[in-house]
Amino acid sequence: MSRFRRIANLFSRSKTEREIDAELSAHVEMRIEDNIADGMSPEQARRDAGVRFGNRTVIKEQVAGEDAALVIENIWRDIRLACRQLAQAPGFTITAIVTLALGIGANVATFSVVDAVMLRPLPYDRPDQLIDLVPMNSRFPQDYSRNLSYPDYFDLRTGNHTLAHLVSYHDNSFTMTGVGDPVHVEAEIVAWDLLPALGVQPELGRGFLPEEEKPGTHVVLISHALWNSQFSRDPAIVGRSINLSGQLFTVIGVMPPTFRFPMTAPLNGIWTTLAADKAPGDSSTTRRGMHFLNAVGRLKPGVSMAQAGQDLSTISAHLKQQYPDTNSHIDSARVRTELSALVGDTRTALMVVLGAVALVLLIACGNIANLLLARMRERQREIAMRTALGAGRGRIVRQLLVESLVLSAAGGLAGCCLAFACTPVLLHLIGESIPRAADAGVDVRILAFAIGISSVAGLIFGVVPAVTASKTELVSLLKEGARTEAASRDWLRAALIVAQVAVGLVLTTSAGLLITSFLHLRRADEGFNPDHLLTLLFETPDARYKDTRPDFYRQYFEKVRALPSVQSAAGVMIMPMTSDNADISFEDPEHPTSEAQRPGANVTLITPDYFRTMQIPLLQGRDLSDRDTMTSPQVIVVDQAFAKQFFPGENVLGKKIRPGASNGPGDGPQWREIVGVVGSVRLSATQRELRPEMYLPSAQLSQWCCLHTVIRTSLDPHSLEPDARRLVASMDKEIPVTNVRTMQELMFMELAQPKFAMVLLGVFAALSIALTVVGLYGVMTYSIARRTREIGIRMALGAQRNHVLSKVLREAGVILTAGIGIGVLASLLSTSLLESMLYGTGARNPGVLMLVSAIAAITGLIAAFIPARRAASIDPMQALRAD
Amino acid sequence: MAKNDLQGALDLLVLKTLAQTGSLHGYGIVLHVQRASDDLLRVEEGSLYPALHRMEQDGWIHSEWALTETNRKAKYYRLSPAGRKQLQQAEKSFEQLVKGVRAVLRYA
Repeated sequence: MSRFRRIANLFSRSKTEREIDAELSAHVEMRIEDNIADGMSPEQARRDAGVRFGNRTVIKEQVAGEDAALVIENIWRDIRLACRQLAQAPGFTITAIVTLALGIGANVATFSVVDAVMLRPLPYDRPDQLIDLVPMNSRFPQDYSRNLSYPDYFDLRTGNHTLAHLVSYHDNSFTMTGVGDPVHVEAEIVAWDLLPALGVQPELGRGFLPEEEKPGTHVVLISHALWNSQFSRDPAIVGRSINLSGQLFTVIGVMPPTFRFPMTAPLNGIWTTLAADKAPGDSSTTRRGMHFLNAVGRLKPGVSMAQAGQDLSTISAHLKQQYPDTNSHIDSARVRTELSALVGDTRTALMVVLGAVALVLLIACGNIANLLLARMRERQREIAMRTALGAGRGRIVRQLLVESLVLSAAGGLAGCCLAFACTPVLLHLIGESIPRAADAGVDVRILAFAIGISSVAGLIFGVVPAVTASKTELVSLLKEGARTEAASRDWLRAALIVAQVAVGLVLTTSAGLLITSFLHLRRADEGFNPDHLLTLLFETPDARYKDTRPDFYRQYFEKVRALPSVQSAAGVMIMPMTSDNADISFEDPEHPTSEAQRPGANVTLITPDYFRTMQIPLLQGRDLSDRDTMTSPQVIVVDQAFAKQFFPGENVLGKKIRPGASNGPGDGPQWREIVGVVGSVRLSATQRELRPEMYLPSAQLSQWCCLHTVIRTSLDPHSLEPDARRLVASMDKEIPVTNVRTMQELMFMELAQPKFAMVLLGVFAALSIALTVVGLYGVMTYSIARRTREIGIRMALGAQRNHVLSKVLREAGVILTAGIGIGVLASLLSTSLLESMLYGTGARNPGVLMLVSAIAAITGLIAAFIPARRAASIDPMQALRAD
Repeated sequence: MAKNDLQGALDLLVLKTLAQTGSLHGYGIVLHVQRASDDLLRVEEGSLYPALHRMEQDGWIHSEWALTETNRKAKYYRLSPAGRKQLQQAEKSFEQLVKGVRAVLRYA
């Protein structure tokens, strides 16, 4: 007893106890008074009262036990009763649980991804103090894609008063040799104080020291994974030298297995200081116009995000005045939490999906509410009986709610199982398109969410039937028998279906828009032919190839072209579909401006034959050739968009421009003659507009590394991989080949995010249609079953079967029209949330709306037709005899 | 079984007392049972309270705090409609029990 009591009295222990105490004392006091009145001495009276009463502590405990235990017992009794009731109607129970499992399961699975991506704190110390810093042009406040230059970064780091640390980082990669086979290692070049800024310790060894940013320092931290795979967890690794792309680096520490930085690069194996960017002849740390750095900072204690933003913006504005040539388009700084910077654009997609899946659950709840309302009719007598036996309204509502909650608990349990079974499929669909999504798994938040959403669902679908049922009019019910059903309940059920149709329509419209957009992306012309292309990447380290790159690549591509089944092959530095791009400005003598005002365009380096390999049409002039070398006249090829934007209506062939790309220090940018114009290419599958592009011959910029290899073959591209690897190894056995992918695979990865949103919304929309159809079918069947007698009388009085059929269909038509009308309105109001996820279609697409409405109307009428035909085939004699 | 019957008997006494007197506190119930039974039945005073609270949870009786004639605060109990029904049943089954027991005792 006392155990129950402790559980139940957790909240109200003291109050209950005081009451019981008061009641028992009153009894004893009254007995004492009476005893004294009977002539006992006060002492005697007290003792007698105590003896008569018994052990007061024990009794108090027993009374409290009765109070608490009975509360629990009542609930337990309600639950058992609910289970019995549900077991008596297995058809209803199974339908409801399956419906709920689908709805809750989809929600839990989606939420587990949202949880992993958006809610879990970053795995660093006090992550809420970490900020992401982006330079801004206040004319484009939404552009978060800008990067810092080193000189700007250094000024911001030393000049600010609000940050404890500001750490620059950018990615890089190395070829590690001398330990087994050469391997390609992803790396990050960071400021020395990365670890103190994040509040992370190495697992072995130490972090960087401030003086290790000085040029000539070669120290690295390695990842646990790299330590494991390449050094077999050698405890003596610290202090050892390793060869990275031809340079010796000293390992100073090993990071713990859970360490990831940045979060978007889980494969990083090496971190080294920005001394790596200060190599002799490398001007990247001194050029203020070279923007390629990201920055993460830690706020000083007590400093707000806004204060830091203000502080850094002031410095930026100052730099703009000080260096107008390079900084005129950067006038402020934007500070966000590191987490929101990481989540970035995926927030919209995730929120849309989460919203959609919540709507699915809402529709499912509508269905179950409808089923419950139908069941209430059968249970009216039972409820009336219990009311007659003295059960209060509250008691009945409680019982019915407990039933709903038992249902939703069962549905929630089944839904969780479903969700955990489906999460791998979901993660596969998402792929690498959302950072941290792969971490999705069960945690406390997800369980809390599952319990919460199940209870909310149970209350939503339980409360309306419970309240209507408790309002059952006892007298009229007993007088008229079981055939009465409150008209308001009919109205409620129709309203529920109307709402379901409307919500389903919004979902289906959203899915339709995403599908339209995705088809647009798939169909869109890339500007090249992505079929039968194999791509791969390897590095040509400066240590050995600084000056011989053009020769090496020329020989290499000759050998590739000689491989069987190869039609053509070429190299390209920034390849389409790799979410990589570079933008440089150029000088145009016909439109002279100051340095900061110069126009910019995308740039990439290519070898001869690139256009033929990609099947990019050559519109004017010539392709680059092997005769374009360091010593020959400097040339450039531009695309159509470039010609149109910068030289509208002119012939660009023969014009000279000077792109800001030089071959090393002391060798300034060259004037280049435009020798060809090619068709425009989409750099990314989700690019909204074509950007002007400049193609520079890699043979004339020998110090730029590295080229992707693009091979066009007549066979399955992957069949070429072994030959290609062998070929590279035969030329330099220290170069590992990485990123072997077909162009189709790259496009597939680029489309992963739009595809994931589309597939999920498509599935949810299908689910919502199915649920709504089942719901409508149920309501129509029910309403006809209830009116069998009425229809029978009508038919006996001469109503035609067709007439009955059309009357029932008309009823369904009214529901559908109302639902579709509201749904279309709601869609028009809400789909603008999708705007940023749509390509090639607006958020209000009349075609999609019409198609979706038609689907809703047709499926709805089919769902209504079956019960309508059953109504039309009612035998009047039987209908009148029944009941 | 025996325990249930005894408990049932206590419940019956309490319900009947409340039916006869209307509203009464625990001490009053003890005195009433004692007086009405000509001192034959003496309820163990403390053990009355767990029973009262259980019956209240079952909805047979309601309670409220009020002042006694001597201006003392006490918890008063009174019968609910459900309790009245319960009393009828309990009376019936008790009579049957008594009849049965008596018949057995008289069987020669």
